[in-house]
Amino acid sequence: MSELAIRRGAAPALAVRGLGYAYPHSARPALEDVSLEVAPGEFVLLAGRSASGKSTLLKAACGLVPHFHGGEIEGEVRVADLDAIVAGPGELAAAVGYLAQDPETQVVSTTVAAEIELPLEMRGDEPADRARAVEEVALALAIPHLLDRTVDTLSGGELQRVALAAALVTRPRLILLDEPTSQLDPVAGDELIWLLRRLNEEWGVAVLLAEHRLERCLAAADRVVAMEAGGISFDGPPADFLAWASDADPALETPAARLFSLAGIDPLPVGVRDARQTLRGMGVGHPPQPAIRRVPDPHPSDPALEAKNLWVELDRGEDLRDVLKGIDLTIRRGERVALMGRNGAGKSTLLRTAAGLYEPVAGKIAVNSIALLTQNPGDYLVRERVGDELLGEQGMVALRVLGLEDKIDADPRDLSGGERQRLALAIALAGRMEGEHLPGVVALDEPTRGMDHARKDDLVGLIGDLAERAAAVVVATHDVEFASAFADRVVLLGDGVVIADGPTEEILSGGWYFATEVARVLDLPGVVTPEQGAAALAEERR
Amino acid sequence: MKSPFAYQPRPRPLQLASPGAAVAYLGAIVAVAFLYSNPLVLVAAGVAAVTAGLLAGARRAVEFALKMGLSLALLIVVVNALVVSRGETVLARLGDWPLLGRVDVTLEAIVAGLSGGLRAAVAMIAAAVYSACVDPDRVLRVLRPLAGRSALTATLVSRLVPVAAADAVRLRDAAQLRGPAAAPVGKAPLARRLLAGSLDRAVDVAATLELRGYSLDAPPARARRRRSRYDRRFYAVAAAVLVAAIAGKALGADDFQTYPTVEIGLGPATLALSVLVALSGLAPLRRRSVSSLFGMGEQSRHAEVARV
Repeated sequence: MSELAIRRGAAPALAVRGLGYAYPHSARPALEDVSLEVAPGEFVLLAGRSASGKSTLLKAACGLVPHFHGGEIEGEVRVADLDAIVAGPGELAAAVGYLAQDPETQVVSTTVAAEIELPLEMRGDEPADRARAVEEVALALAIPHLLDRTVDTLSGGELQRVALAAALVTRPRLILLDEPTSQLDPVAGDELIWLLRRLNEEWGVAVLLAEHRLERCLAAADRVVAMEAGGISFDGPPADFLAWASDADPALETPAARLFSLAGIDPLPVGVRDARQTLRGMGVGHPPQPAIRRVPDPHPSDPALEAKNLWVELDRGEDLRDVLKGIDLTIRRGERVALMGRNGAGKSTLLRTAAGLYEPVAGKIAVNSIALLTQNPGDYLVRERVGDELLGEQGMVALRVLGLEDKIDADPRDLSGGERQRLALAIALAGRMEGEHLPGVVALDEPTRGMDHARKDDLVGLIGDLAERAAAVVVATHDVEFASAFADRVVLLGDGVVIADGPTEEILSGGWYFATEVARVLDLPGVVTPEQGAAALAEERR
Repeated sequence: MKSPFAYQPRPRPLQLASPGAAVAYLGAIVAVAFLYSNPLVLVAAGVAAVTAGLLAGARRAVEFALKMGLSLALLIVVVNALVVSRGETVLARLGDWPLLGRVDVTLEAIVAGLSGGLRAAVAMIAAAVYSACVDPDRVLRVLRPLAGRSALTATLVSRLVPVAAADAVRLRDAAQLRGPAAAPVGKAPLARRLLAGSLDRAVDVAATLELRGYSLDAPPARARRRRSRYDRRFYAVAAAVLVAAIAGKALGADDFQTYPTVEIGLGPATLALSVLVALSGLAPLRRRSVSSLFGMGEQSRHAEVARV
């Protein structure tokens, strides 16, 4: 088929037939009998729990499977009429772009301009063509101002855009994205999804997007494909997907859909606008506003963390920058606090300062013993046996508190993601407890990156257990839905200062970006979870 | 924290010049340091390297390189003073030492060590200025058609070094955050963990290179010609410094003897060469436009970037 025919969309952007694949030395296949077609210009959302085969399917579509990873493959994968099992990723690069979760390992050049130009250079394009393509893709992604910057000076969101530009610069017909928003704050995440939608509409690029936070992108999708245990369990329009998910796998429901399910409203909405229109059509205007629950101070005289006029300065390469600017904050034992804010707002810096990794330049911070789990739990695991990570009876107490006493002889690498996170927390807690009493503060920095709904529910349970044992649990997170599930208080940071601090229901219902989907649908102060929303709707109906 | 030696694009002549011109210029300063032993000429080469770095805006790189270079120079001086007992001016008799035998510290050995130390310091400062001011992507692009595999290795290394450095900081932080009853993390387990992590990262970076088409057998792309009005200046200064250094060598400008007694030549040829070499450090000087004097410096800076 000629290139012109392909560009006009004569062939499907992606055609997968009877695809089966097993990674080398793997006991069970990662993909089994997968058949799927993505039409040119279609926006397809790939849903499913962790390890359901989403990432492997994307890697098969760009040629990394089997060319880079090896393993055994059967069936057929065609990308813009190229056989992806025969052609390697380099040859497929003209037809398909791929963007993975971690933007750090997706850049190979020093400057942004060189990074974007590299695929064209590898293809042997003429200098004038390369210059124009780089300029156009930079304009399309609104990053011309970044072209002269070095990649190590970019934020996570900027880096993700640069990696996307490098994937798009060859003008592929199909772009594959594997949880691209998992490391982005709500603002940058929403911007990326709508940027994809715009590219999809204006450039006609077909999009296959794997994502756990479905509420963020369902409204942008034309179609949803759900995967389970390496196979496809659902394939259809977003509205039908929600109806299927409420019966087959409620963990895949969006908060707005769950709100409608609980309130007995049909059809389930694919987004905020859809939900509002349905409610308006039903004559549901302004349900009564519930009273905001004020959390009683659990131990009024016993602050676990107290910061007074806290200033922290960090060296960001070229010069010093104030990252925290006069923070005043008191957190007491038993509180569950979500620390939120944009990337670079100072959340991690505050936790690290509390844990003694950074010294304040002014003000003070007093902490009644703290165990901090940083963003990568794997960094804590350095030995090959769980029991070797911890010493004596105190170590065993920490394992017991985290429910890992039966894993003592396991290799940390053989544990599930959730177990590894618990083990890392046990390592941070070991010796900081008196008997089974936890330290004053247990802090978690972005613990839900790449987690599916089921694992997040487990984590909510763990946080509840820790708070019941009288620890103040402070979690830095971008995930507003997760924050609404575990926190009784939200502290919102903006550029190093506290810009909001209050009960979760108040803070997460009072904005747009830092608001849950239910809050955006109902716009009711104090209503952030589907259960609260359903109760408010039931009240109005009465 | 970003390495002080990491490349930082700035709208300054040294960064805007082609890699060839920048390498020729800094290489000429290093060549002087290796051709000459006379401390005055070596100090002049050091002044040139420091001035070039400061004018190019690489203050942090120069500061770090100065600290490291002078520390290394001091070490060379001390070691030379202890292991070489030649020279007539004995400053201290330290008796018999194990392995070294009789140790007499002489002025001549100290001066000889100083000369070697200065040479190492100049090379270090020039290398730091190169690292902070010359775009490695452009250098790799020049290398790629000549040595594809070496360029690929260099690309992987240049990306993995900062990533591994960031991983090391994270692992060190996690080790600090372990509870008192967690097994302490020695250097060996930490290094093993860092290595394992680096291998994982290397696989990810290699996958990205594969996706960008690194394995394609496409004909080498023609380099995008980026004009710089500063190239001629750097080539001219490099040529002038090299010609003067070679001529000076022939005219006895490197008149320097350490043993048996110190004799430092300070003749007209040495002085003239030293002044010329020191002044070569001004090559990255940017002419201030009139507009910048009226507070439009930022605009003119952007205009300059756009032109390049």
